[in-house]
Amino acid sequence: MALLEVKDLRTSFYTRDGIVRAVDGVSFSLDKGETLGIVGESGSGKSVTCYSLMRLIPEPPGRIDGGTAMFDGQDLLTMSQKELRKIRGKRISMIFQDPMTSLNPFLRISTQLIEALRLHYDVDKKTAINKAIAALEEVGIPEAAKRVHNYPHEFSGGMRQRVMIAMALITEPDLLIADEPTTALDVTVQAQIMDIIKKRQEDLGTAVILITHDLGVVAGTCDKVNVMYGGRMMESGTAEQVFYEAKHPYTRSLQKTIPSLQTKGEELYTIPGLPPDVSKPIHGCAFYPRCPYPKTGKPEGDRPSLVEMADGHCYADCGFCDSSAPIETVLAKNDSPDEVEQAGAAE
Amino acid sequence: MSEHVEPAVPVDPKNDFLVLDDVHTHFDMGKTLLTRESKGVVKAVDGVTLTVKEGEILGLVGESGCGKSTLSRTVMQLIRPTSGRIFLEGKELSALSDTDIRKERINFQMIFQDPYASLNPRMTVLDTLSEAIRTRHPNVNGDALRARVADLLRTVGLNPNQMKRYPHEFSGGQRQRVAIARALAPEPKLIIADEPVSALDVSIQSQILNLLKRLTREMGLTMIFISHDLSVVRYIADRIAVMYLGRILELGEASDVVDHPLHVYTRALMSAIPRPDPTSEKTRNRIVLQGDPPSPMNPPEGCNFWPRSPVEHDERMKHEEPVLTEIRPNHFAANCPFCVQAAAETEPA
Ligand SMILES: Nc1ncnc2c1ncn2[C@@H]1O[C@H](COP(=O)(O)OP(=O)(O)OP(=O)(O)O)[C@@H](O)[C@H]1O
Ligand SMILES: Nc1ncnc2c1ncn2[C@@H]1O[C@H](COP(=O)(O)OP(=O)(O)OP(=O)(O)O)[C@@H](O)[C@H]1O
Ligand code: SF4
Ligand code: SF4
Ligand SMILES: [Mg+2]
Ligand SMILES: [Mg+2]
Repeated sequence: MALLEVKDLRTSFYTRDGIVRAVDGVSFSLDKGETLGIVGESGSGKSVTCYSLMRLIPEPPGRIDGGTAMFDGQDLLTMSQKELRKIRGKRISMIFQDPMTSLNPFLRISTQLIEALRLHYDVDKKTAINKAIAALEEVGIPEAAKRVHNYPHEFSGGMRQRVMIAMALITEPDLLIADEPTTALDVTVQAQIMDIIKKRQEDLGTAVILITHDLGVVAGTCDKVNVMYGGRMMESGTAEQVFYEAKHPYTRSLQKTIPSLQTKGEELYTIPGLPPDVSKPIHGCAFYPRCPYPKTGKPEGDRPSLVEMADGHCYADCGFCDSSAPIETVLAKNDSPDEVEQAGAAE
Repeated sequence: MSEHVEPAVPVDPKNDFLVLDDVHTHFDMGKTLLTRESKGVVKAVDGVTLTVKEGEILGLVGESGCGKSTLSRTVMQLIRPTSGRIFLEGKELSALSDTDIRKERINFQMIFQDPYASLNPRMTVLDTLSEAIRTRHPNVNGDALRARVADLLRTVGLNPNQMKRYPHEFSGGQRQRVAIARALAPEPKLIIADEPVSALDVSIQSQILNLLKRLTREMGLTMIFISHDLSVVRYIADRIAVMYLGRILELGEASDVVDHPLHVYTRALMSAIPRPDPTSEKTRNRIVLQGDPPSPMNPPEGCNFWPRSPVEHDERMKHEEPVLTEIRPNHFAANCPFCVQAAAETEPA
């Protein structure tokens, strides 16, 4: 049985401007020791997916409209708050996008580190502090015994992010959800942090959900990848399937935008147009307005269904478009999209 | 090893477009209240010599805290250098009075990392851009002014009928375009872009990079482009300067620095960039730097890179401060044979 099995998760925000369908039918499963990457543009619903699993969606305006998320046989989406408290912060922990939002600036690091330990385990303060020091050492904080009593502002940005990881790992969770844990950091610290997470996985078999828009980070760490667009899943599979045998036009376009892969001197490839406005209902294919394929009439009604191949590779089936041409040729034709047109400027 | 070396980067303030001549920017942390002891000095920029040619894009890379922003704020004269001189088109900026600098500043503009924090949330795009245009053309008003604003918006790929909007009504990428338009409004000669794409996601990053590159070419602008990501800088810059703890460790043509780095630090920065390829990424060896950069408050004596160097050390080396030296034509590096040698050895065949 998978450690976590999410089926058809749907979460919306009921705002004055309309219903924001932030997550609109997301499914995936995750085994012990596995890493799942969730990628997609800003606003595609990556964070909301994870907040939903942690039941941290502000209600109102938010609401989990449907789906199941079976964690070790129990549904996270319907369990009582009491049951949830036994799991959240102990068996599932989360690293948030911005370290300063989850570190309390007025409390010493030590106090914050031992809070979860003392809540979930029967340990005395001294043991807890020792565990906290060990946790800081594990993430490479020098002089941990001294620095454990510092306040967050006495650490550099990279060190704060490492403290966050120590805090998330201290209860030895079965599942770690990391929301852009390295986006604000420079590449050297980023590499150190990904190494810490990988090591923990090897030692304790922790499962990890990693949210990021950096496909390089995904390539280096993830077993499986989910590609999201406009709150929906466009493609999922093993990292190898998604990187080498990508089926969906959005996945292919996204790969093409990566600056480090592009030849110097040429104009960088960008996906023409803007991401969809999820506060309006999307009919048919969410990627339709930006898709490089020649379109045979606007797809109304049903969205493309997800097809799953025998090897588990899954993608939104472009049934109603003429996607018979190889995508390389299609993308090559669209190589230098006009800047001005992209941003929607009138003549 | 220790014979006399000429000042490595030759500067000619009369003829070079922008010159930084041995610039130091230190922050004095003051004295403790009781004992009146000095709390120390942060040597954020500690001896930088550079020239930038007219029409060139110079990329400035380095880890967080190495002094990139301080250096750019010093060029902007938002902070005055502790010592050293800065010349723009032969004029010594570092010697001008505050009033004269204010007049001069229309010639050099800055784009910041966070477009939301750098735009006034209570001003419409029209007001923001009008104000910026009038710093150079105080007498333009009415329809002529609106026409200029509309032109600027078109230049950066925004729709002129969005000029009555406020910053929060734009997406991150669009806001960065507004910030670029504001920097262009006074018709500057030099633009300093401090991490203009770091906060944006990949698909928007490419749009902004294309835009900046096109504008520098079309308008004959000179630009200093700052980032901690060498893969981004590689694309946009003509030359690259690699900064470490307040100093330049390597400087050269972008292709030389990226494809044949001289210093092991540059190579380590490159090897830390994750590549979007699962097979190679999961198996390849990175050059791992030890720990965090030392504090610029108490940098080690002599070479400040040794606590982090992956290279085997001859203890004596630590005490010498490697000097930026032209090792290959137009390609400079802090000349310690060990770190430079290490880069050569790890270079892929
Ligand atoms: N509290 C809220 N109220 C209304 N809409 C919200 C709220 N939180 C999120 N949304 C909307 O839900 C959508 C998905 O947001 P989410 O934060 O999951 O994006 P993301 O993929 O994590 O993007 P990013 O890469 O920028 O972090 C967005 O359109 C966002 O505006
Ligand atoms: N006003 C100041 N007072 C004291 N120290 C400062 C001040 N501004 C910057 N510093 C210090 O100077 C050093 C260089 O900072 P700077 O902001 O220039 O780095 P950076 O290379 O731009 O880093 P990042 O990539 O994180 O933006 C840092 O150690 C910083 O803490
Ligand atoms: S369904 Fe059509 S528009 Fe949508 S991604 Fe597929 S080919 Fe493109
Ligand atoms: S080899 Fe030379 S330059 Fe490199 S860290 Fe050691 S002393 Fe410094
Ligand atoms: Mg997010
Ligand atoms: Mg900075």
